[in-house]
Amino acid sequence: MESFQHLMNGFVVAMSLQNLLFATIGCILGTLIGVLPGLGPAAGTALLIPITFKLEPTSAIIMLAAIYYGAMYGGTITSVLINVPGEAASVVTCLDGYEMAKQGRAGAALGIAAIGSFIGGSVATLGLVLVALPLARFALKFGPPEYFSLLCVGLSLVMALAGKSLSKALIMGVIGLVFSLVGIDPVEGAPRFTFGITPLMDGVRFVPVVMGFFGIGEILLNAEKSLVGVMAGGGKVSSFLPRREEWRISVTSILRGTGLGFFLGLIPGTNSAVASFMSYAIEKKVSKHPEKFGTGVIEGVAAPETANNAYANAALIPLFTLGLPGSPTIAILMGALIMNGLTPGPLLFKQHATFVWAVIASLYIGNVILLILNLPLVGWWAKLLRIPYQALSVIILVFCIIGAYSLNNSIFDIGVMLVCGVLGYAFKKLDFPVAPAILTLILGPLMERSLRESISLSQGDYSIFVTRPISLVFLAITALILASSAWQALPAAIREESKEAQV
Amino acid sequence: MRRVNRIVWGILLAFGAFVVYESLQLSYYGTDFGPGPGFFSFWLGVLVIALSLAELTWTLRQPADPLPKGFLPDRQGTARILSIIGALAASLLLMAPLGFSLTMLGFCVFLLRSVGRFSWWAVLPIAGLSSFGLAYVFRMLYVLLPTGMLGI
Repeated sequence: MESFQHLMNGFVVAMSLQNLLFATIGCILGTLIGVLPGLGPAAGTALLIPITFKLEPTSAIIMLAAIYYGAMYGGTITSVLINVPGEAASVVTCLDGYEMAKQGRAGAALGIAAIGSFIGGSVATLGLVLVALPLARFALKFGPPEYFSLLCVGLSLVMALAGKSLSKALIMGVIGLVFSLVGIDPVEGAPRFTFGITPLMDGVRFVPVVMGFFGIGEILLNAEKSLVGVMAGGGKVSSFLPRREEWRISVTSILRGTGLGFFLGLIPGTNSAVASFMSYAIEKKVSKHPEKFGTGVIEGVAAPETANNAYANAALIPLFTLGLPGSPTIAILMGALIMNGLTPGPLLFKQHATFVWAVIASLYIGNVILLILNLPLVGWWAKLLRIPYQALSVIILVFCIIGAYSLNNSIFDIGVMLVCGVLGYAFKKLDFPVAPAILTLILGPLMERSLRESISLSQGDYSIFVTRPISLVFLAITALILASSAWQALPAAIREESKEAQV
Repeated sequence: MRRVNRIVWGILLAFGAFVVYESLQLSYYGTDFGPGPGFFSFWLGVLVIALSLAELTWTLRQPADPLPKGFLPDRQGTARILSIIGALAASLLLMAPLGFSLTMLGFCVFLLRSVGRFSWWAVLPIAGLSSFGLAYVFRMLYVLLPTGMLGI
């Protein structure tokens, strides 16, 4: 009850005219940033920190938080309309969202994404109020072995994302892991796979890789054709509401997405891309028609979009209660808090209770603003389709260049983006799925660190992963996922072989 | 397609071998019983080799088949792809000496004319807004973009 008392006080502050205005501006700017390919929430939030310098801390953080979750939704728009994810968490939305748009159902895809995002975000914020401290304490029990095992669950789900070939998905996952190892070894400081190239010492950053694989790769693929008619759905958005039967399916997907996104948001080190990828994989696993995923099924949009917004709100829990940023964007928010003289951590609730509860209350308000802004504006956003693709693709390329460069002011990153663009094009032509590589590129450093810390902790004893109960449970889940995926893949391979033998 | 698959999995096999070789140059085990920098990458390399070998063996058993229709782009498609890659590569080289605005102006003019086939009336405003216009907006937002020798 004490939490609700604080929350009510927070609402009083958050609903002042000034803070409402900044939350609205933040939502609009965030959505715009999300719409522009190459400018994800991390880059967008970082770009806009300077405009909050002159605001008082509560308004500044309310606005930055609104930019953050606005961008999470905005990323969906380009994923659905032009198959170019605005940020990593929207990568998986392309799979079914773009297909829906091609069938003339862009409105329904964007509509269910907005509704799912609203529900996911609101429920996660409620969870933040109710269970922030106990759940954060539970996540604190995770040592390196538990964390490694949890990441194994995430990576084994890469197999669930496999397209036609299990080995192609696996090898892409491993390639992503190898890319993630480039740079200075975090434990011993030895350079790995850097070949004497100084910028590689900082590692391969995922923003240029994502921009290359998805932005440049997609544009190159479209350039094969005459660059005409690649816009999905021809710009028509008839209705932003799903069909009646789709509501029933979407409700359960949204609920699962909310739970998963909320849970992952509590675990420091994960990110919204993991939430959306895992959510998509789970939907595919539980679906009665997994083969239809990737052809424009609504749960393929509803679940990941809900999960990434639930994650976005829940990820603030470790930041506020433990001072641990869970993702790059949250780390940027943490920087903004520190710049405003506020130190994230358990003392924040004690020393700056008004501030922290006002920000939490603003999350509710922000979710409502986002829903009000986005549902009626779905058609307006879809007008992007009317811009000739030849012109839009050039503008997308310019934004990709800005996005790759601006995160670290590095021209080298533009080169990384170009190389990844050519690779992304080749992978698409050869039917190698690029999503597993992106996922493992993000998870790789965390996975290696927790593996090495675990083995170091046990002084070389590998049984540490199975002697700790939480870790054992995660590993058992991993084994189940792997076994089930292998089982599903095996008969197909055998069938194919016997069919060809008959021919 | 069988030949293409063999080449691709052959390249991946070589990549796996390279990862293993590079990992062996690093310490496999560190000083405090913990794995060294080469530990994780070594096993990843081994996994790439194992998967590539399995797929190579599989493709060797497959009958020869033609390339799927549309696998290779036509001459115009190839020209467009090479134009985009060339423009990106050129902008990469010119960004430091010329700065963002001038490089992007040339980049946009070239692509809009060669790939988009737009008229000069359309090219100039789009290119201007996408280069100098965006540079202005981002500088207003305190985003540092390369300025080059001319300071623009």
